[in-house]
Amino acid sequence: MSSDQAIREVVYRTCTALDAEDFDAFMDLCAPDLDYRVTAFSPEIRKEMTWLDQDYDGMRALLDMVPQHLKRLGTLKRHVSIYFMEDDASAKTAAITSSFIVTHTDPEGRSQLFVAGTYFDEVDYSGDRPLLKKRKAHLETRDLGIGSHIPI
Amino acid sequence: MAARRFADRDNPPDLNPRDYVSGEVYRDAGLFQAELDQVLGKVWHFACHESEIAGAGDYRTFQHATQPLFVIRGEDGALRCFFNVCSHRGARLLGDVAGTASRLTCFYHLWTYDTCGRCVDIPREEAYATTGVEKSTLGLREVRTATRSGLVFVTLDDAAPPLDEFLGDSLEIFDDVFGDPSVEYEVFHFHRGTVEANWKAWQETIVDLYHEFMHVVLRTTQMTAAPMTERDMRTYPGGHLAIGGLKADYHNYKAYGAREDSKAFPGLTVDDARFTPLFPDTTIITRGTVMRIDTVTPIDAHRTVVESRGLGIKGEPEADRRMRMQHHNDYWGPFGRNVPEDAFAAEACEKAFGSGAARYQIIARDEEGQGQDDLMLRAYYKAWSDMTGHPSHNPKNQ
Repeated sequence: MSSDQAIREVVYRTCTALDAEDFDAFMDLCAPDLDYRVTAFSPEIRKEMTWLDQDYDGMRALLDMVPQHLKRLGTLKRHVSIYFMEDDASAKTAAITSSFIVTHTDPEGRSQLFVAGTYFDEVDYSGDRPLLKKRKAHLETRDLGIGSHIPI
Repeated sequence: MAARRFADRDNPPDLNPRDYVSGEVYRDAGLFQAELDQVLGKVWHFACHESEIAGAGDYRTFQHATQPLFVIRGEDGALRCFFNVCSHRGARLLGDVAGTASRLTCFYHLWTYDTCGRCVDIPREEAYATTGVEKSTLGLREVRTATRSGLVFVTLDDAAPPLDEFLGDSLEIFDDVFGDPSVEYEVFHFHRGTVEANWKAWQETIVDLYHEFMHVVLRTTQMTAAPMTERDMRTYPGGHLAIGGLKADYHNYKAYGAREDSKAFPGLTVDDARFTPLFPDTTIITRGTVMRIDTVTPIDAHRTVVESRGLGIKGEPEADRRMRMQHHNDYWGPFGRNVPEDAFAAEACEKAFGSGAARYQIIARDEEGQGQDDLMLRAYYKAWSDMTGHPSHNPKNQ
């Protein structure tokens, strides 16, 4: 049985793993039936949009290719505050809602806000340890400058 | 070969003038103003897709050549474009990026317009009785608007040739894509990115095929999928361009899955890639199952807003739409494998040209209109030179 703290830590640890671009560590925190999406609402076209939509294998392949890409210089840092956790004991899952902001620090050490949004996560704690089963990262920020090869 | 000396940097390359571009085109304030007045202020500019303003009263605000504008579908069904400015005191009329309205009321003194741009209400109008202010003469300032294949264009130039004349045959490679009357397109994706670069540096990433080497996706899926000699670059009057004959084998990139031919747009197979850069600021690109329309809007000489739209087929099954969104965003979304790299390149060039560290760029590749010829870059700058009146190799006559 996973503790509340262990379940919450899945949220934090996925972020620190992505910050560190330690993609093996990130995938190790994900369930085999992972559903990972990044969404935003466009008031311009008045539609909900999905900007990234990957299952476990897709996410694994996407992250494996990152080192070969030309990508934004500097680092990203995810700052997360968990607002709510709702436990579904029968399904052995927990729904966690968190606010996040991501800052970008360039190679000269200048930091600025990259993106703000909300994580809607589902953590599966039916196994030996809790795993991220589903994430919807809903973005408030829609102008992402040059974008990012690393998911938010 | 020794490195070139610093003192030599002002010397132009020892090349045919058509084969290089001066860095002044990216940084000179006077040239930027000339671009606004003589290029962006004269051409037909892609504003939006008709599906974004499908119903009466639907509107979209946007900026073109630094001017605030909006397009709106009138109650009579016609599309019109107006300056987003109240006729009274010049306040911005519409604050939202999109919406639906049967009347447009200025927040400031509540002057009100209908969807055809007519001024229909002035509060306490009687106070103007002795001063000659008349509703009938104070409608919104209209901007010419025309459509082609669902694409809505506007021009700030009342004397510009008609849209069809401006476009000529430049959209011919999309005749089969747009030509099926049973297929109606709609926009499902929109994102905007502010890029710290001159607006032409972005457009160059579109028309420079040689930069395929920069993208691992293109190196693995496109460069070897079909012979370079099958590429078909075309130039059209006015600086419009097109390229067909590109193919992509998506299996060769690890993170892309299989693609079904049956999901391709009319006239295309999933491995087809075609694009048409419309001079000077718009590009239409298809990759089998997806279509993207880009526009670049300069904020100033060193900052640019890039807007990207993704299009799908109206009424298609949910699973098909999800597939199309994935294909679009895997490639072109803000977390895609391609577009962030183009933006990276534009910003990297800005660092050099914006500071004056780089003085010239070379566009001299000659492959007889195939392969990775710089033909399209040269045609782009030929049109730029013709319209601004400044030769791009020496725009300040130095």
